[in-house]
Amino acid sequence: MTSSKKLSIGNIVKNYTLEIILVALAIILTFVTPHFLTLNNLMNILRNISLQGVVAFGMTIVIVCGELDLSLSSSIALTGVLIGLIGGKLDAAGIMPLQYGVLVGIAAAFVVCTCVGLINGWLITRFRIPAMIVTLAMQNILYGIAAIISNGFPVITFPAWYSFIGSGRIFGIVPVPVIILAVVFAITAFVLSYTKFGRATFACGGNAEAARLSGINVKRTKIISMVIVQLCCVVSGIMLSSQVMSGTFSFARGWEMNAISSVIIGGASIAGGIGKMRGTLLGIIFLGILLNGMTLLNVNDYIQYVVRGCLIIFAVLLSTLKNKK
Amino acid sequence: MSVLETNRVSKQYPGTLALDEVSVSFEGGKIHALVGKNGSGKSTLVNIFSGAVPASGGTVLLNGSPISFKNPAEAQQNGIATVYQELSLVPGLTVAENILIGRMPMKGPMVDWKKTRKIAQELLEELGIDISPNDVVSDLTVWQCQMVEIAKAMSFDPKVLQLDEPTSSLAQNEVESLFRIIRKLREKDVIVLYITHKLQELWQIADTCTVLRDGKLIGTEQISELSRRQLIGMMFGDVEVKTRPEDLRYGEDVVLKVEHLSDGHRFTDVSFELHKGEVLGIAGMLGSGRTELLNCIFGAQKAAGGAIWLHGEEIKDPNPEMMNRKGVAMTQEDRKRLGVNLDARISDNLCYASLQRLGKGIMVDRAKEKQYVARQVADLGIKVADVNYLVSSLSGGNQQKVVVGNWLNIEPTVMLFDEPSRGIDVNAKQQIFQIIWDQARKGISSIMVSSELEELIEVCHRILILRNGVIERTVLPQDVSIEDLYAISMGE
Ligand SMILES: Nc1ncnc2c1ncn2[C@@H]1O[C@H](COP(=O)(O)OP(=O)(O)OP(=O)(O)O)[C@@H](O)[C@H]1O
Ligand SMILES: [Mg+2]
Repeated sequence: MTSSKKLSIGNIVKNYTLEIILVALAIILTFVTPHFLTLNNLMNILRNISLQGVVAFGMTIVIVCGELDLSLSSSIALTGVLIGLIGGKLDAAGIMPLQYGVLVGIAAAFVVCTCVGLINGWLITRFRIPAMIVTLAMQNILYGIAAIISNGFPVITFPAWYSFIGSGRIFGIVPVPVIILAVVFAITAFVLSYTKFGRATFACGGNAEAARLSGINVKRTKIISMVIVQLCCVVSGIMLSSQVMSGTFSFARGWEMNAISSVIIGGASIAGGIGKMRGTLLGIIFLGILLNGMTLLNVNDYIQYVVRGCLIIFAVLLSTLKNKK
Repeated sequence: MSVLETNRVSKQYPGTLALDEVSVSFEGGKIHALVGKNGSGKSTLVNIFSGAVPASGGTVLLNGSPISFKNPAEAQQNGIATVYQELSLVPGLTVAENILIGRMPMKGPMVDWKKTRKIAQELLEELGIDISPNDVVSDLTVWQCQMVEIAKAMSFDPKVLQLDEPTSSLAQNEVESLFRIIRKLREKDVIVLYITHKLQELWQIADTCTVLRDGKLIGTEQISELSRRQLIGMMFGDVEVKTRPEDLRYGEDVVLKVEHLSDGHRFTDVSFELHKGEVLGIAGMLGSGRTELLNCIFGAQKAAGGAIWLHGEEIKDPNPEMMNRKGVAMTQEDRKRLGVNLDARISDNLCYASLQRLGKGIMVDRAKEKQYVARQVADLGIKVADVNYLVSSLSGGNQQKVVVGNWLNIEPTVMLFDEPSRGIDVNAKQQIFQIIWDQARKGISSIMVSSELEELIEVCHRILILRNGVIERTVLPQDVSIEDLYAISMGE
């Protein structure tokens, strides 16, 4: 009965592959560059992965549900633009000072992105258009809208307190985004493993027709998952615009690829039905350390692109091979 | 004469010893039945022969020389063809492509489509299978897929032909034509391995019978020297196989009423009433519209016309979610495609239909979930090493029990069963019947569709006979013989 739980080297390697690779990578980096293992650099890595990590958690739910969202980079950028613009306009019109105006902007961003998620979900479930197409189109639409409303310029009307969200540190050490990352992780992990919606998500991704015939509302489940990832985009967009104190329509380009790769590296199946939040967390840490290492080693930006691209293909390959047998 | 032998073959899965030092030999020119209860290791043995899974110990010998294939393709090239328990055709391809997949005739660098179709056509005709080679597999019904699988296996001109429950989704006349095909192989020195849970078939088709129980070989006997009672004893040890209780009555109240229902395609103008505590059977040949009828009542597919009344309330535009809420359950016939989520754990699969009942609000009540899972595992006797394993690690019959258990967890008031006993052993079948009767006693009504008409006669209060999409007649089981029932359903 207990043979499966035997603690053999083989089993440990199989169950903790990612952890082992991560530790190995960290050890190598510690030896090849003196700047890697410093408190400052580690906090830096954490801060950098926070913005993309938050969306990767949302993406995990979407991928487990058997869908994809490629529109999120534009939603992240649009969030920054909306917040700055609305705050600035309210201030200029004398309705509300900038300090409070951005709060209205944040609320507006949540409303807009919720609608984007609803529309994405509706188009996918109602007309059975592949998520890839719907959300790619949405990415273009939102990119265009963000550029139009900001006239193509960075929006820089943010109050001073706003920078705390992206650049502040608690006790002078822990960056605020890391706290936000932890909170979003806890919420999404909880949703996926402890709620009825989470169970339904796995059912829909694994076998949508069987789920429907069991009386699970597949359409609603898919739509909710598309909304959740958009909510994560708003959180990420707030942190991003706060870090640079500007909202620019061209921000966050290509982040959907990073989100997808961390989810897949974390062991989720691109076909849906399989995935873990803990895996995604490891995936983004892995990606963060890798990118940080390449930067510390002065690897050229374009080479970083090539490495990242190869990594995605490799991760997907690995996951398809693993899930096929 | 060819011989297929095993020498102390074992197979260890995580948590389960599926085969325990099995040594057995099968001779050519004979049909060897392989029987045993669910999870006894039959499919595992077939999978080892076919190269689908490796053995963890022991040797397999074909005509005295050891064989060990890395994958099913290699086994096929060496003359071992297999029809697996779960259908394995590629849904998007045509019948001809599926039969000749991986070895289509070429004309230069291009596939010779004309020849592909011709070869497939000839094969299907020779086997007397009435399916066009141009049909796309996803449009075929389960039994048609099954026949295509058989045609595909035959096309290898095999030395060893393994059939893992080939008749579990066939009705009488298809079974007859399958048997004709198999009997012809006797003259060709082919070794035929035949797995089934329909024990009465053994005396029609098999020469020898090999019994496995919990991975151990119990013995091999000549079928002619074996009685049904002895066989059941070998399969289960000492169990009491239950029969229909005497006290089954049903009430006056109409629970479900169907009026002039049609799907605009397969069945038309079907009307009937289901009473409280009644078990209603629907007999009919494959393709008679039985599955479609249940699907329309359950809202899994849209009806074209007619009305459905549940507990006196008219149901407009039903869908599975709504019917689930109203306490109507339906188990699907196509287990792999529609019944289970193979990527998920056994425990998850047992709680999909009852998901909304697992605690209040948005949370899953884990304690309740555990209790729901444990209840079905115990009541249905599902053979599991650990409920956290994937459902794909279960034997076929045990997966079927999961499908049924998933629905029993909602404590339904009306149950629709489409082939509930497909692939489950005689004892488990009785357990499911027992559950249907127990529920009936509590006032819960069931409709049961089955290709095994003797099953309907045993279980039901009343049987509707569906032919070509219309209700041909309603009969009481005590008034008809199985032969009559077949004759009426076939239209003779
Ligand atoms: N991949 C797997 N992982 C773990 N256990 C497995 C796996 N495949 C099969 N088993 C176990 O091995 C045992 C034998 O299974 P097998 O499929 O051979 O049964 P079977 O005799 O064909 O049953 P059935 O009549 O239900 O088809 C079962 O207990 C099953 O749970
Ligand atoms: Mg089997």
